[in-house]
Amino acid sequence: MAYSPLLEARGLTKRYGDTVALDALDLGVNSGEVYCLLGANGAGKSTAINCFLDFVRPDTGSALIGGSVVADDPIGTKQRLAYIPETVMLYGNLSAVENLEYFATLATGTRPARPDLLKHLITAGLTEVQADQRVGGFSKGMRQKVGIAIALAKGADVLLLDEPTSGLDPKASNEFHGLLGMLRAHGAAVLMATHDLFRAKESGTRVGIMKRGRKVAELRTDEIGHADLEQLYLQHMHD
Amino acid sequence: MIATIAAKEFRELVRDGRFRWAAVVVGSLLIVAALAGWTAWRTQAQTRDAAQSTMQAMWFNQPAKNPHSAAHYGLWAFKPQMPLGFIDRGVDPYTGTASWLEAHRQNEFRFRPAMDATAAQRFGEWTTAGVLQLLVPLLIILLAHGAFAGERERGTLRQLASLGVPARTLLIGKAVGIGGAMGLLLVPVAAVGAALVMRDSGADGLFRLFALGGVYFAYFTLFLVLTLFVSARAASARGALIVLLSLWAWNGLVAPRLAADMARGVAPTPTARAFSADVQRSLANGVDGHSPASTRNRLLQDSLLAAHGVSHVDSLPFNYSGYSMQRGEEHANGVFDHHFGELWAQYAAQDRAQLAGAVVAPLVAVRQLSMAIAGTDFAQHRAFADAAESYRRLLNKAMNDAIADHAAPGQGFSYLGDSTLWAGVGPFEYEAPGLGRVLVAQAPSLLFVTAWLFALVVTVRRERRLSVL
Repeated sequence: MAYSPLLEARGLTKRYGDTVALDALDLGVNSGEVYCLLGANGAGKSTAINCFLDFVRPDTGSALIGGSVVADDPIGTKQRLAYIPETVMLYGNLSAVENLEYFATLATGTRPARPDLLKHLITAGLTEVQADQRVGGFSKGMRQKVGIAIALAKGADVLLLDEPTSGLDPKASNEFHGLLGMLRAHGAAVLMATHDLFRAKESGTRVGIMKRGRKVAELRTDEIGHADLEQLYLQHMHD
Repeated sequence: MIATIAAKEFRELVRDGRFRWAAVVVGSLLIVAALAGWTAWRTQAQTRDAAQSTMQAMWFNQPAKNPHSAAHYGLWAFKPQMPLGFIDRGVDPYTGTASWLEAHRQNEFRFRPAMDATAAQRFGEWTTAGVLQLLVPLLIILLAHGAFAGERERGTLRQLASLGVPARTLLIGKAVGIGGAMGLLLVPVAAVGAALVMRDSGADGLFRLFALGGVYFAYFTLFLVLTLFVSARAASARGALIVLLSLWAWNGLVAPRLAADMARGVAPTPTARAFSADVQRSLANGVDGHSPASTRNRLLQDSLLAAHGVSHVDSLPFNYSGYSMQRGEEHANGVFDHHFGELWAQYAAQDRAQLAGAVVAPLVAVRQLSMAIAGTDFAQHRAFADAAESYRRLLNKAMNDAIADHAAPGQGFSYLGDSTLWAGVGPFEYEAPGLGRVLVAQAPSLLFVTAWLFALVVTVRRERRLSVL
């Protein structure tokens, strides 16, 4: 089979008035890869992810999922992806199981059985008691776990993560990246925007450093140490 | 997918304390308004039926007297209470429901409740129709304005959109879910209404209730879809609420008022005083204004005497007083036909002009339909007034003919009629137009409501991309 990344950006460009949010971004993420987008706030990381979700339409260039252009088939290209933003927003009046049931049913078109839902929630790190609590009182870490459970229930092999661990305590962050590793091992392609250089080095297979909408550097994490990555990052930020 | 979305919207709403309170308050208001309206309606129906039969008995049982005196004594015609009159009182409080049928004149309706109302009552009287037309849409707006805008603000809309749920599916699902929750409130109200209608009016009332339910269902659907559409477009839930409340006030308060004022401008009606003066003038001088009563009488006498070859009215083969009174009655009837015809035509023109307001506010059409189905609109008031007037003419003709045929020459006013004559007139019977005829007459209003629904559905169908950020 020809080389065809699950996630691909081709010359992705987006302007808001005079501000260039994305400037001809090219990248590709293969099955089993975790690609980390690094960069300051406003560098274009979220805009790139939003293009893959059709939340933002690029001015030129295209975002592709599994070889299909997102803007041409916004509904179809979402069938295999899962999205986890900084805080997974859920319906506070419904329990974790009910939230998951709702999202999973809408995602797959069939209503999963309760044991399956519970299995996903427990795999994602919630307890059975928590699963039946209304999520109104859930901590951020617990919400992210429900987000992972949604991805599991959907059987997504493309993950779009927008700073999913910022604001999580180190233990919760560690758990989250453990789950990410598991999904990657199952062949998922992961695109993650993050500020966490340490996690990017630990969980990522590649990192791209962005600045003012442009990708200014891209490298494999196994080719560079923690200190060097930080050095490289800061060097780009100072230019 | 739609069912899933609907079920979740329904569940969330039902768990929401605000919804429960609002539903209880509006539901109670509706039921109380219906029960109160029904109690008053029932009392009035009983009073009306009793008065009508008393009236009829008084007529049939009156002692022997001169037929013309009997005609002057006259009788009252009372408009029957329509099965859904307690839901929508329509124009009844303004037009009145009782008419005095007497010799020589077509009277306007009397005892209009609006005449006794204080200024404050204009705002204080809540009929079921009023609650349905104003409060229920308000409740829909309060419940549904955040359906999209609120989810967008909370971020759950992004989560939904990331699953690949089409915007239209989401909108339909939400409409069904919120509509279902509204059903929790409205179905018991409809059941109470049906029980009350069944008690007194049977199948016809139920058919009417069904039609009325259909109209309000369309009206609420319109509001719900409009609310969801605005919510999907608005930047924030608060913005959506402001836009929707403005639309609500426009539709419910401003536009109907403007339409009524405009209609009055387009088709002005004379004041009661001017109208009555015009009628008097025409009665005296003829519609053309050049044939005073004295001239008319002289011409009549001359032509009769010539035709029969006699020199004095007492020599005619019939009683002249009875004959000339009937001719006078017929002259007056022509005058009434002319003036009331003009007046009714102006009112009808006002109704039509007012309906044009439905282009900018669907309530204008819904209000017309509601009154018409309840049997309390202006057209049906007129149908009753016409029936009462026909009966008045029939009765007067019978009295005058009796004098003409049976009274001795020159003895027209000492001739006495008896119970055979009274009974010969027969009772006043009025059959209100049936539902089918009413709906046919309301075709323009139905068309407006359909056009609104159609326009909204087309607009929503064109809405492909939901802004989630």
